[in-house]
Amino acid sequence: MDFEFSVIVESLPMLFEGAKLTWVITLAGIGGGMVIGILAGLGRIAGTPYLGDEPHGIFIPVSVLTRYLSAGFVEGIRGTPIIVQAMFLYFAFPMLVRALFTIDQFRMEALTAAVITIMINAGAYIAEIVRGSVISVHKGLIEAGLSLGISRFQLIAHVIGPIAIRRMIPPLGNQFIISLKDTSLFIVIGVGELTRQGQEIMASNFRALEIWLTVAIIYLLMTSVLAMTLRHFERKMKIF
Amino acid sequence: MSNIIEMKNICKSFGRTEVLHNIDFAVAEGEVVVIIGPSGSGKSTLIRCINCLEMISSGELIVDTIRIPAEQSRIRQIRLEVGMVFQQFNLFPHMSALENVAFGPRKARGMKVSEAEPVALDLLDKVGLADFKDKLPGQLSGGQQQRVAIARALAVNPRVMLFDEPTSALDPEMIGEVLDVMKNIAKDSGMTMVVVTHEMGFASQVGDRLIFMDDGRIIEEGKPGEVMKNPTSDRLKDFLSHVKHH
Ligand SMILES: Nc1ncnc2c1ncn2[C@@H]1O[C@H](COP(=O)(O)OP(=O)(O)OP(=O)(O)O)[C@@H](O)[C@H]1O
Ligand SMILES: [Mg+2]
Repeated sequence: MDFEFSVIVESLPMLFEGAKLTWVITLAGIGGGMVIGILAGLGRIAGTPYLGDEPHGIFIPVSVLTRYLSAGFVEGIRGTPIIVQAMFLYFAFPMLVRALFTIDQFRMEALTAAVITIMINAGAYIAEIVRGSVISVHKGLIEAGLSLGISRFQLIAHVIGPIAIRRMIPPLGNQFIISLKDTSLFIVIGVGELTRQGQEIMASNFRALEIWLTVAIIYLLMTSVLAMTLRHFERKMKIF
Repeated sequence: MSNIIEMKNICKSFGRTEVLHNIDFAVAEGEVVVIIGPSGSGKSTLIRCINCLEMISSGELIVDTIRIPAEQSRIRQIRLEVGMVFQQFNLFPHMSALENVAFGPRKARGMKVSEAEPVALDLLDKVGLADFKDKLPGQLSGGQQQRVAIARALAVNPRVMLFDEPTSALDPEMIGEVLDVMKNIAKDSGMTMVVVTHEMGFASQVGDRLIFMDDGRIIEEGKPGEVMKNPTSDRLKDFLSHVKHH
């Protein structure tokens, strides 16, 4: 067995193209995943004392519904493989739309499907991270905030949020790294991300060792960047 | 004198357990009421019902002119009128002493930072902590934290202050500094206060009325000196003999 360094050099431009796409999917996916995660995470504890006063009037059924919808979403996503979610979104979902709404041309770009899959998948896990951090905020602090006469929104924005965020960062870093690596699964729907590019180069030159070693190192570099960014955020926060 | 707090035939249950039974209780403007009683007798629950941290299960609560449960949407207004100090201080750990005290004026009263900070600094000065304004709660002693917490509650400019065992979590040498601050509030500003405490010295010096609770009921009440000297019920006699030994 011989190790040809030149194979690596020749493959780099294509692999970098793939790495770029991996970044795009990851960043768009975890950005959307944060929004979904915060909404579903708070939704799952809507109307409970973790978020201030218990609701009254119309807000009682609204909060119950919010809790059920959020829990259903989280459990549905966590309970199914991400690769099935991607397949469903790319192949089955457009068929459903065409059939149900008789929109003949409706189709979904593979890249769009990839980004949405990461968004909802990361969103479900981030929801659990958000919920866990919020319910770990000491009850006395919530009562102290309420006793000053602030609104629920102010309570969440200025008391619960800032305290919970510090506890979210380590598990969020973990989830971001998982989501980045999950993008390699989109090889199955033909998105030209890093793993797919590696696979294509491999198919033409059969240099498995050089190619997969390089691909692995590029993934490692990208996950390191994510980890270091989060550690930087953690350090910048006031310690208390 | 008119009543600023009125509780009419109030019951409070947690699940199926009723912990307050048919309480009738009123506090006049400017009055200092001290509540004592054994652990689990419902002292905390009673005062937490006043600012709606606990919702009463039946009966009626009137704070100023706001009626609960009829006007449940006006809870926030009650809380602007009623400040609270907790046993565990509960300062916001991510804010400096000054930010903690300025928080209420800014968020609950809608003041600008430039308006709220002088108010906060003035109050920190009153509780003797102006030099500690930039410290985080974790950098302060228990007594200092509790004094900041008192300033934080006062900053919203309430008409009533509730204290739930404000010195029970403190080392003995820090109890005096907190009680002194509370005495000053009662004397200088004529603040209406409801204080749950076992500091009998404070009760007799500052209290206008002493209330003894047991098992979710008000058992005895009257002038602190008289109640302490001539307890009528056996339960209060028993309780006082325990308190005095500490
Ligand atoms: N959130 C709650 N859920 C269920 N039961 C509760 C709750 N809060 C208080 N209780 C019960 O209500 C009763 C009264 O409690 P409360 O805290 O008012 O007593 P307390 O007089 O303040 O006692 P302590 O001196 O120990 O502070 C107790 O039996 C307690 O177990
Ligand atoms: Mg208590």
